[in-house]
Amino acid sequence: MADSTSTETDVGGVLTRLDEHEYSAYIKAVLGFGLLAALPYLIEIEMAGLSLGSVLTLKILIVTLVFAFSSQAWNLISGFTGYFSFGHAAFFGIGAYATQKLAIDFGINPWFGMLVGGGVAVLLALLIGFLNFRYELKGHYFALATFAFAMLMGVVVRNTKELGGAIGYYRPFPRDYGAEYGLAAFQFQSDLPYYYVIFGFLVIVTAVAYALKESQLGLYLFAIRENEDAAASVGIPTFRYKMLAISLSAFFTAWAGAFWSMYFEIIRPETVFGLSKNVEVLLPAVVGGLGTIPGAIIGALFVFPLAEFFRANVDQIIGLDDVVYGVALVLIALVLPNGLISIRKRIREWRD
Amino acid sequence: MLIPLIIDDIVSAVSEFAGDVVSLDPVLLQLTIFALLLGGVFALAALGLTMIFGVMDVVNFAHGMLIVAGMYTVYFVTTTVGINPLAALPIAVVALFALGVVISVTAIEPIIEAPEENQFIVTLGISFILLAAVQIFFTPDPRSIVMDLGRYQLFGAQIPKGQAYALAIAIVAMAALWVFLQRTELGTAIRATADNREGAWYVGIDVPNIDHITVGIGSALAGLAGAAIVIFSPFDPFIGESYLVKAFVIVVLGGLGSLPGAFVGGLIVGAIQVFGGFYLPGTTNEIVIFLLFVLLLYLKPTGLFGERRA
Repeated sequence: MADSTSTETDVGGVLTRLDEHEYSAYIKAVLGFGLLAALPYLIEIEMAGLSLGSVLTLKILIVTLVFAFSSQAWNLISGFTGYFSFGHAAFFGIGAYATQKLAIDFGINPWFGMLVGGGVAVLLALLIGFLNFRYELKGHYFALATFAFAMLMGVVVRNTKELGGAIGYYRPFPRDYGAEYGLAAFQFQSDLPYYYVIFGFLVIVTAVAYALKESQLGLYLFAIRENEDAAASVGIPTFRYKMLAISLSAFFTAWAGAFWSMYFEIIRPETVFGLSKNVEVLLPAVVGGLGTIPGAIIGALFVFPLAEFFRANVDQIIGLDDVVYGVALVLIALVLPNGLISIRKRIREWRD
Repeated sequence: MLIPLIIDDIVSAVSEFAGDVVSLDPVLLQLTIFALLLGGVFALAALGLTMIFGVMDVVNFAHGMLIVAGMYTVYFVTTTVGINPLAALPIAVVALFALGVVISVTAIEPIIEAPEENQFIVTLGISFILLAAVQIFFTPDPRSIVMDLGRYQLFGAQIPKGQAYALAIAIVAMAALWVFLQRTELGTAIRATADNREGAWYVGIDVPNIDHITVGIGSALAGLAGAAIVIFSPFDPFIGESYLVKAFVIVVLGGLGSLPGAFVGGLIVGAIQVFGGFYLPGTTNEIVIFLLFVLLLYLKPTGLFGERRA
């Protein structure tokens, strides 16, 4: 009797019971997002003289959510259809540069600029998608081709004086280019509103990803991932659906770039189009669990705060944050190929 | 707006180049020499990447960091033991071979049958760990052990000796690899595995063992490339990324898995970089390189040398 109550009340038991609930996904989403929304306040609470804030700052949380968001967007093509993109920095960078350029040189509202950037990213995605799918690039070749486009965008921007060239593109204070602070201007004087903007983005893309996954279309996308030839042979127009998935993915990834350009003062070709941006975009989804909805968020919350913690607290040893990325990647691929999200299942398998 | 600008640049560069050719400008000889020197080293830097792909079908994202590991091995030996960087070359080769075997046994072999993205992720992870290790042991500061060797003169053109030695090392290494693969039993087994993994199993080749040796040789070649580069160029832990990207371009140009392809691809990239750097404004030559890369991926994904064997 006492035994059964204790197993029913531990966390694993609660989660198992929640899994069986009819609205399990919604309850978990509300709880998870509620926790994320409260996080900026939670890190300030002190317990026994310690607080999360001593290892986590709001800035780290914002960067974490940027990559949770962009990784969720990346998931729409790479997690859902299995076409592993290694060039999403191309879309990220377009979003960043379009928003920044339009806002500063033409006085266009960043929200509108973000949509323009999204539109341009979709055009590029259609071009990349058309070429890649038309020439049937798969596996390594698909990854290399997307990577090549990101590099190409990077070197083109680096050679374009109008976009600041290699030095980068600097965003002055809003009053210096005639904009105000506030939500309408996408400019804030403190970090907290930025956090809630990117949090809002994350809610939107997660809802879109969930809706897509639950729809008929999502079923087709996963069919493409499992066996594309079989999917095509039963009459699924795979080309059209892949094009749609990559466009949607690019559209949202450009938002992440737009946010980046409005949050940081300067954007540079190598930081927004570079190899490491490609990695940062795909890392959370891979670590958390490819093709799963909570995966990108869990992966981001695991990787970036941990890396930042090492960077900030073991500062006599430079490079430890890279160890976190590296070890996380290797261990995930070797031990948990389905990501952190599969850890409960793995533990249950070990126990049984 | 942008594309006409680039085309404009290219047209004016080509006409300037044509003018120099017609007038037999001595700068052409100098540029050709520089292109050959650079291209040879680039080819060596790409060789290990293409070999591992040819045998195992694995795109090794750690290749750039293996080149950097070779650089720092030479740096470490040179600064602690106090010997000439050239004398440290064999140590870099042996050390990187061992590192490659360790990587293969611990990380690559367990997932050789897994989907491509897992191989991606593992080699990318190894690359991060190596980057961290180099930063921890040597700090992120730039280093230089460039040797002042002087230069040769050839019809008024200059040949920096350091780069000439690096090119000689590259050529000897490529020739030695070629002989090893063609003439030795082990080399034949590696080629057989590249041709047909399953078939190799059936005829009694220990395929996992061949894989370990292949990653070992690929890493040793990367290490040798790094060791050759430090003779004439300063370096830092982050330089691996640019060599990785160049190596990708080179092996795609030549054909992933093709050794002669890596050689030709290296010369092409070296030529574009040197001639483009001279005639085109800014770093427009990089745009040309990546455009070529993208075009070739679509039009001829097997590369200029349309074979897939090591």
